[in-house]
Amino acid sequence: MTAKPDPLIHPITRLSICGLLAAGADWVEFAALRDAVGISDSVLSKQSRVLEDAGYVEVRKGAVGRRPRTWFRLTPEGRRAVQGHLAWLAQLEEAVFVSPDMQQARPRPRMQPRRAG
Amino acid sequence: MGDVARDPAALERLRVQRSRLADRMRPPWWYLPGIAILWALAFAAPFSSRYGPRGVHTWPILLAVLAVAGLLQWGLARATGIAVAVGSLRYPSGRPAEIAIVVVAAAAFVTEILLIHRGLVVAAIAVAALAVVAEVAGQQAHLRGIRHDLQSGGGSA
Repeated sequence: MTAKPDPLIHPITRLSICGLLAAGADWVEFAALRDAVGISDSVLSKQSRVLEDAGYVEVRKGAVGRRPRTWFRLTPEGRRAVQGHLAWLAQLEEAVFVSPDMQQARPRPRMQPRRAG
Repeated sequence: MGDVARDPAALERLRVQRSRLADRMRPPWWYLPGIAILWALAFAAPFSSRYGPRGVHTWPILLAVLAVAGLLQWGLARATGIAVAVGSLRYPSGRPAEIAIVVVAAAAFVTEILLIHRGLVVAAIAVAALAVVAEVAGQQAHLRGIRHDLQSGGGSA
């Protein structure tokens, strides 16, 4: 696997969707993916359509009773792209935070401000 | 839409989202009793050929086991919103438990058959009961492993 950026996965929402689908599940249902990413139905629909058109995500639609159910999974091509992109991001993160100038930029746990007096 | 280059915590956010997804991978209340029924059916198969009524063979029981396994997998995916390959060795953290499940099943079947042939039915039933408990514990450990791999991304094929 080569670490290389993928402009299609680069935006955070699509990175989250693809990163979750690449975690190991065969299929992930619409509501589970929406809740895990923390986005609205319409944003997930729009972004998943982009990923589907690019051939990165496969969509399966079905219904349980009258309730429609939509399931997503990564295609082999999408999986390769996500793994390459995540490897590239990990390298980037390491390079950025190893640099002494950027050490201060590393996210730290939030602390309550101390009150004067 | 946000851009990763402007948000150095993107990978950290993805880790949080993965643990949120993994948290959903908790079996509903009926899942483990269902697993117990499945293994109880499977371990009843060696008894059927010897003690069952005439014409009762092992294969209908095995078909029932497969049907229950399919139903459980389908129900788990429906309840959690995550379809995983429960019976596979794909998840590194769940692999030891899955191997233990297969080994316990094989050992229990062989022991049961030997005991039944020697006429030690009570001992065979005790072995089957113990094996059911061990299989349920194994399945719990396997699901824990799957959850761990979903969280860390280690389950990607």
